[in-house]
Amino acid sequence: MIGMRSLNVAVIVKLEPDFSEGNVSYNADGTLNRAETKSILGPHSAIASLAAFYSKVRYGARITVGTMGPPIADAALQQAQMLCDADELHLYSDRLFAGADTLATAETLKAGISKMQGGIEGMDLVFSGHRASDGETGQTGPQTAWKLGFPFLGNVIDYNLDLERRTIRAKRLISLQGFYDIVEEIEAPLPAFVSVDPSYQPNFNTVSQRLALGRYRKEAAERSSNYKQYLKVFNAQQMGVDPKLVGLPGSPTIVYKVEKIPKAKASRKSEVIDGANPEHIRLAAAKIHEILSGAVVK
Amino acid sequence: MSEQSQSTQIQNAPSASEDCSYRHLYVVIEHDDGKPVPVSLEMLGEARRQMDIFNAKYSSNEKVVAVVLGNNVRNLCEEMIYYGADAVIYAASPELQYSRNLVDTKVISKIARNADLTRNFSPEYADSFKKPRYMFFAADSIGRHLSSTVMAELESGLASDINKLVISDLDIRHEHKTKGQTIRYEKTLEMYRPDFSGFLWTTILCLDNRNPVAPKEFHPQSCSIIPGVFEPLGRDTSRKGSIVDYTPEFGEHDLAVKVLGRQVIKSVVDFESHKAVISFGRGIKESPEENIKLVAELADELDAAVGISLPISKKPYPVSEATSSTYMIPDRVIGTSGRKVAPMLYIAVGISGAVQHIVGMKESGFVIAINPDEEAPIRGECDMFIKGRMEEVVPLLVQELKKQRPAMQVSNR
Repeated sequence: MIGMRSLNVAVIVKLEPDFSEGNVSYNADGTLNRAETKSILGPHSAIASLAAFYSKVRYGARITVGTMGPPIADAALQQAQMLCDADELHLYSDRLFAGADTLATAETLKAGISKMQGGIEGMDLVFSGHRASDGETGQTGPQTAWKLGFPFLGNVIDYNLDLERRTIRAKRLISLQGFYDIVEEIEAPLPAFVSVDPSYQPNFNTVSQRLALGRYRKEAAERSSNYKQYLKVFNAQQMGVDPKLVGLPGSPTIVYKVEKIPKAKASRKSEVIDGANPEHIRLAAAKIHEILSGAVVK
Repeated sequence: MSEQSQSTQIQNAPSASEDCSYRHLYVVIEHDDGKPVPVSLEMLGEARRQMDIFNAKYSSNEKVVAVVLGNNVRNLCEEMIYYGADAVIYAASPELQYSRNLVDTKVISKIARNADLTRNFSPEYADSFKKPRYMFFAADSIGRHLSSTVMAELESGLASDINKLVISDLDIRHEHKTKGQTIRYEKTLEMYRPDFSGFLWTTILCLDNRNPVAPKEFHPQSCSIIPGVFEPLGRDTSRKGSIVDYTPEFGEHDLAVKVLGRQVIKSVVDFESHKAVISFGRGIKESPEENIKLVAELADELDAAVGISLPISKKPYPVSEATSSTYMIPDRVIGTSGRKVAPMLYIAVGISGAVQHIVGMKESGFVIAINPDEEAPIRGECDMFIKGRMEEVVPLLVQELKKQRPAMQVSNR
């Protein structure tokens, strides 16, 4: 890597409700109890952090993790630093950003990336997760990419870089509903924006890679225990965003209403049988055999 | 008094311009080398229904326009008309054979802004046309990203994963959009999306800013649509429509991403060749490892394939590595985010029946649910509801199936 410009990598993450069993709490009506559910680094953000970490271990990347959110979102940055040994943590926090939809969020994140080492011109690779577990739109990553002017590579399951040619070669998983899945191998010039597929798993194959892995992991643990030292907080003014393009004014969409999904009209008429009654189970078993033998035509 | 006149002004000015600049519903078609992905036909069906209502209600003549990018797929364009499109805008080039986000976004955005292309099928609106009124994309691994980048380019709003649509005139009062005034937004697309829990429905609107401080028009109103929820129309070869050719031009950067290879991967899980599919969901949670074993035994007994609901693929429960890597995998997910199955017999064990799951199994022949909760939505989606905890019901059922095994031979007609 001597003589070559260092590799600047960004990761965009999100603080999300912890949906894992035992931590998530639901209200009686089945909706999320936000007060009782604690927040963590989103699982897809964690995978994006691991993908960025691969670029550190393999290519010595300098990593900045950025998030938009309230002050408590620094917890997500700390957890991401633990995973990717980030050199810098950015929190973009301002009341002006509140109420943002994906397009307005992308505008804020673009401005945030312009504050990272080297600015947008010096950025080589940006990672985001596949989608957030709470919003679940999967739109913020590609919209940020478009605003940055970087080619967007979605559903990436594996990647490697050619630092001399400054290109990325990646495999992506495309699921064609109703047909089959396709693994596509693509190549793009840097800078590029990668959203990482949930099935991504980094591979470290050589001894030197594994040694570097251990070294950086140790460093990550140390750094994240002092994460505030690496943290920079930016407000809208410091980021130089146009207030018309962020938060509510920059959001084309609004949430008009939220309602319980009405119970769908039953599409089948079910016969209820008692699972504790052996006679009922006997009839159920008979029915199953009847169906599978082709005797029942529905 | 002055407040009232101001509110009238706000209401009229943008809505007048809005109404002649934005026309038609554009549907971005997905296909694999000319073979339409099912959701493309489903989107066309819904677009047709919506615009028929729209044109009758507003006495207008706006079109359903299919946007097709590809190489040598003119046959597909004709099919789009048979399935409900009034017109097809067809961008043909070897560069467009496979979907690539960057170049596709450029081409679709240019098409969306091109008034001349609409002259052929809608001369009466072509002079004032700026952009489509509405746009539909598929909520799948291509359309999700494509819709995002196209809307970033067109600077308008997008709702994802929609399963219901209504076009209506709404009186909106919003802190920013209307600066607290009540303003009527005509021809607004109400976009319903089921949230992560499967219990809530959120309606998203894409609305112009009619706040005098920062007015801004946001069109097209667009969404990505969940595969499998809308009905396609029947194929009708008597339907007529026009195919408009668009010759795309590419900048050097547009083609920066190269496809080096494509490999079709066969799914590890074979649902198709089994007569029965047994799926399990969060109902396993009390003793996940043991309960998955019970499901596996039942599947063995019936030579059934094993499916799961989406939450299980996120590995919410601690189980052994072997169990996790065999069963809690995305490949087994049945529903919106996974596969669609239609076996002769479908058994849902510990599955509540969120709409996302139902989409994947509703075509099954006979459906049995095993569930302790009679109020669970799956009750209305099954033919036989066995009320009880899986821990008790499944072993009894397996035992009984074994006992009755020989009876199978004779019941065949």
